[in-house]
Amino acid sequence: MIIAERKPFEEIKEMVKGYKNILNVGCGGCTSICLAGGQKEVNQLNAELKKENPELNIDSLVIERQCNYDFFVDLDEKAPKYDAILSMACGAGVQFVAERYTSIPVFPALNTVFCGVDRNVGWFEENCRTCGECVLGDTAGICPVTRCAKGIFNGPCGGTRIDGSCEVDPDTPCAWTEIFNRLTEQGRVDKITEVKPPRLWQNQVRRTLIQEDYKARYAE
Amino acid sequence: MSDQEKKAVDRAEISKMLEKKAPEMKRILNYCVHCSICAESCFLYMSHDGDPQYMPSYKVINSLGKLYKKNGNVDHEFLEGIKGMVWNNCVLCHRCYCPIGIDIPRMIDFTRSICRSQGVFPKLDEGESWL
Repeated sequence: MIIAERKPFEEIKEMVKGYKNILNVGCGGCTSICLAGGQKEVNQLNAELKKENPELNIDSLVIERQCNYDFFVDLDEKAPKYDAILSMACGAGVQFVAERYTSIPVFPALNTVFCGVDRNVGWFEENCRTCGECVLGDTAGICPVTRCAKGIFNGPCGGTRIDGSCEVDPDTPCAWTEIFNRLTEQGRVDKITEVKPPRLWQNQVRRTLIQEDYKARYAE
Repeated sequence: MSDQEKKAVDRAEISKMLEKKAPEMKRILNYCVHCSICAESCFLYMSHDGDPQYMPSYKVINSLGKLYKKNGNVDHEFLEGIKGMVWNNCVLCHRCYCPIGIDIPRMIDFTRSICRSQGVFPKLDEGESWL
């Protein structure tokens, strides 16, 4: 799931300064689940903005996904009535909204932080950098890109402390020590000696994915 | 009782929302022939051993269908009752297939909008689970 957090109020306030008629659009997907951009958070931000500027007209609408135009029916109807849109979706959703209503300024109310997991209510941890070349099969399900401070594919680096923590931060476990320990537990520690070739770092450019079975459909 | 539960239901607002979508709702309520083809295209239905509560048509008929038949004359308890059906039992993946062309996810999406308009939505910060 994509994890996001609300931008500082001052930043949001500054972005929408000068606009008198704003629609704050929440997202019923990931940002609802990570408690950053769902119905409750939309209501809360609107109340804060309204308190700051009682003259402001700010309405709310939560659509179930801002990353899929199938869910834009209600937004299509409402959006043209406003001077500006605040989006409480992830960066992907904000861009999708901005692409649809090009004449209306669309502002992000959230910072998209990472792709992660729920540890508990309101507690999330990054587990994936979406690098596009997953090596988890060789690293016992521990991502070296995300969890190693240096993001190295061939570790450990030599900076592992005696207690198994990282030289960069004693409170952070060395990812490669964890990989070694888990591979050992699984009886396949020899995997750690396999040298990985340099990465292509495909995430440096915008990626598009069409699943194999659908390639013919979009060939034109 | 939380603030959400205390909020009184604005029946006129629900009725107004339903009126706007009346043609689509008449279509689903009149044309659904209960062929159950949508069921097998739903991964939640399949992964719950064919539990009918996960059948896409069941979810729409027993949530939005009931709301429509009651013309929005429902109470908070009713909306709380369908909340699980439209949030927990459907992920809005848009994979359900209807041979008649009924847009099932759109109907679930609309039902969620009605619930939201009355302050009924998953209370995730209170530990309520989604799936």
